[in-house]
Parts: sequence; C-alpha cells; structure tokens
Amino acid sequence: MNDEQKIEKLKTFVSPEAVAHPAPHRIFVTVAPSGLVTLVERMKAELDNWYVITISGVDKGESYEILYHFGDTTGSITVRTQIPKADPRLPSICGPIPGAVLYERELQDMFGIAVDNLPDPRPMLMPDDWPAGNFPLRKDWKFDRPAEVIPGGEK
Amino acid sequence: MKFQIPIGPQHPALKEPISIRLTVEGEVIKDADLRLGYNHRGVEKLAEEKSWIQNIYLCERICGICSHSHATCFVQGAEKLLEIEPPRRGVYLRYLVSELERIHSHLLWLGVAGHEAGFDTFFMYTWRDREVVMDLLEMISGNRVHYAINTLGGVRRDIDETLRGKILEGLAVLKARSEYYFKIGAAEPTFVARLAGVGPLTKQQAMDYCAVGPMARASGIDRDVRKNDPHDFYNEVEFDVATADSCDVLGRTIVRIKELFESYKICEQILQKLPDGPIAVKAPRRAKPGEVVSRYEAPRGENIHYIVANGSDKPERLKVRAPTLANYPATIEILKHGFIADVPLIFAAIDPCICCAERSVELVDARSGEERTLRFSDLRRMANDRARSLSLQRNVAWPL
Repeated sequence: MNDEQKIEKLKTFVSPEAVAHPAPHRIFVTVAPSGLVTLVERMKAELDNWYVITISGVDKGESYEILYHFGDTTGSITVRTQIPKADPRLPSICGPIPGAVLYERELQDMFGIAVDNLPDPRPMLMPDDWPAGNFPLRKDWKFDRPAEVIPGGEK
Repeated sequence: MKFQIPIGPQHPALKEPISIRLTVEGEVIKDADLRLGYNHRGVEKLAEEKSWIQNIYLCERICGICSHSHATCFVQGAEKLLEIEPPRRGVYLRYLVSELERIHSHLLWLGVAGHEAGFDTFFMYTWRDREVVMDLLEMISGNRVHYAINTLGGVRRDIDETLRGKILEGLAVLKARSEYYFKIGAAEPTFVARLAGVGPLTKQQAMDYCAVGPMARASGIDRDVRKNDPHDFYNEVEFDVATADSCDVLGRTIVRIKELFESYKICEQILQKLPDGPIAVKAPRRAKPGEVVSRYEAPRGENIHYIVANGSDKPERLKVRAPTLANYPATIEILKHGFIADVPLIFAAIDPCICCAERSVELVDARSGEERTLRFSDLRRMANDRARSLSLQRNVAWPL
C-alpha cells in the first residue's frame, strides 16, 4: 500500500483536513483524545504489517502534544493528539496493541499524564525514592544539583 | 510450590542494568516481570540544552555497541530540519560505517550465543574475526567504539585508495571465515539442538507485542527499515531482508548470519560505486521551526528519533526509542512459557548485552524465605548440564 492509498483510507476514518503528508513515507493524522482508541482499532484492522514504534510527548506550553508513531511496510503514520495541561488524561491503546504498554508507562513517568485503563500502571523509570509530582520532561522542571558534600571536608 | 527468582539489577561491568523477577514452579517459569530505569541518564532532557552539533556526540553515547546507529538516526533527521543535503560520497561513507558496525555487532552476538549455549570455541572464533572488522573501523574513523564519523552535512573523514583496498581485503577474509565457521556450526548437532525450539515467539505474538529487528524477522515478519522506509541510499544498493520461520533462538541466529552476508554484499557495492567529490557541506547553525521523524535500522532493530525544532540552535524536543526497549514486551511473553535453564539463551537472543557479563542471581524459597545466591555462571552451567542430559534432537537440521 503506497502513501496515496493509505491517505485515502485514513480520510475515511477521520475528516480529510486532519490528514497531512509533509514528506514521502510520512503521514500525520490529528485526532481528539476521545477518538484515539477507535482510530487505532480501525487502523489495526485495515493496514497490514502494522505496529506501534513509540509514543512521544511534547510540552507545548498550555497543552501536551502526544504523538503515536506507527510503522507499516511502506513508511510511518503519526497520530497526533493534544490534551490540556490542567487535566492531563489519555485513554490507553493497550487494548488493540499490547506492545504499547512500556511507552505509555514512560509517558506517565516523564510528563505526569494519567493513562486510563493501563494494564500495568506502575512507575517504570524513576527510582523508588523519586519525589512525587516531579516530571522531568515538562519544560518547567529544572534539575538543581544538590551541593556536593565531601565527607571529612571543610565545614 | 512457587519460587521467585530476582535477576539483576546491578553489575559494574554492565552498560544496561535491568532487573528481571521470575516466578517459577519447578523448572517452568510462570510469570516474568521487568524493572527498568537503573541506568536512565536523562539524555532526552539534556538534548534540549545542547546545540545541533553537540547532540550528535550526545546521541553517539546512548549505546556503546551501536553508537553509529543513534548518531546517524539523529543526523538524518537534523539534516532535514537544517535543509541541507549531504554530498553523495559523504552518504556512502556514512552507510559504509553503518554496515561495518552491523557486521561487528552480529559477530559479537554470535559469539555470545555460542558462549551461552556452551560452545565456547565458536565464541572464540567469531570474536577473533570481529577484530578484523574492528580494525577496519579504526582505520576509517580512528576509533574502535565511538567512531565520531558523522557530522551535520556529511562525514568527517575520507578514505583513500589504499584504505579502500584494505577494506576489500578485510571483507574477503571475513566472508571466507564466516562461511567456514557457519559450516562448522552446521556440522555440530549439539549446537543446533540446543537452540532449536527455545524461546518460541509466534508471528501473531511478534505482531501484537511490536517486536523489531531480528526478533520480528525470525518470526517470519519482513520488518526492516532499510526496505520499508529506506533512506535514499538503500535504494541504490541490492540486498535482501533476511527472515526465518522457525520463531525460536535458532531462527534468530539464522537471521543474523544471513544479515552478515547481506552486509558484506552492501559494503562491496559501496566500495565499487563510491562516488567522487566532497564528503561534507557546511551546515547552518539554526534550524527553522519544524518536526521530523527519522528511522534507522540498527543491528538490533528499528531506531526512531522524533525531533522538533523551534528556530534556535537547539532542538525543542528529541525523543529517542532504542530497539531493545521495543523487544522487552515480547521477551516477557517468551519467558512466561520457558524454563529457567533457557533464560540466559532467551535473553541473549534479543541481544540486550546484559548477559555478556557475570551476574548474581538470588533464589528465594517462597515458603521458607530461605535465600541462596547463584552466580550467572552457575546458572549457565546448570542450563548446559540440563541440555546435555536431554536426548539429542537428532533430526534438527541446520537450515542454511
């Protein structure tokens, strides 16, 4: 299936202006968080050799942009969705694709986004003593290196 | 009676500390759990504070074995954002290093697989051969591990006619030795019998759990970025995607062996067709606002970098996904039906480089809470003892 055929197919799933084609082999689809799981289910059913590559989060100031990168035999499709910073909440896509679990757990750790219906919602990357409410990939999070204390050094 | 076996997480010699907790009943693993993050270095956050050129060197340090993969993946994307086109000679040299790196990584893996299966002669042979390709990489770039050959708009070092001859000589040596040793591998029924049927991953499971690289290809999925979503360069050379249908560790071995021969083929074509001209163009310091998805087939599977530019000399966001992370969900599924004795082999088969070193394993009796500590070498010895006491699967044939 080439890019044009994929775009035709995607336009039947979402409104035509939501599909962008900025470069060869690269298709971007914009969707509201509520329509995400339905879109993913339909894409899984109708595109062949199709899998999730990763999920990226971007801090856009007032909102978070979440990008689901999917791959197939002829390129990649990126599904873009935006959620407000005030209530960062996303549905899980682990129902149709069980392989997405690690990426959604990473989103929870790094951006503090609550992913609903995640089969395994434990923290993945952060240490056990990581202070609550610290989400490193948010733009307002800064790392302050604690002052170095040399044992037996000057007081 | 259920036992829990924690494996990991820390060992100073490992570059990827990971903790695996296995729940076992007798010899059979009933459940597996993974704990990550012991070596999380915050590369993505750090990348937002470094300039485009500094980020090449940061990306190169994500991995110690496929260092060129991450740097190339980043540079591919950054060049699109900076709107520069590297000259063709530069591109050819960049992917020459890529394929040489794939050869070195697969030879390393074959050695590890031989070692975990108790076939140490194979390990010594393949690692001796690996020195040939490591020397070639050192001659091209000046370094054995972090080649630092990429720059924005091309590569940093050119090769001359003498070096070209040396690379061709080295490739001929590697090809001959590979063929000879793989014939020996085929004539060794214990080796084939040890790998066959271990760590089964069906095609459907590999699809559901989004496996990449040799893991997916050994389950009959022809998933390779070099064919599916190639950089222009890969359309100019001829090669095949190696797949196997056996869905086990034997299949993963076969895929990597076939890929070695494909990489030799690509390297020879590069050296024959190597265009003349400059190796790099000058890159601007700032990129216009934009975004790019860059994909690259690393030796272990697909690499993806998602880069956002905001008009300054630094990226707004750099998202990196390394292939080993993509293979963890599938590995957990494999482990759930395996034997303790096969854990070293199954884990080696995804090539995460955490089995290369000795590790400490603690056996906890769930009823009495009694603990005893086993070294990874003891676990490997137990595994090989068990394999030896099995009646040999004489009918298993080497599929090459």
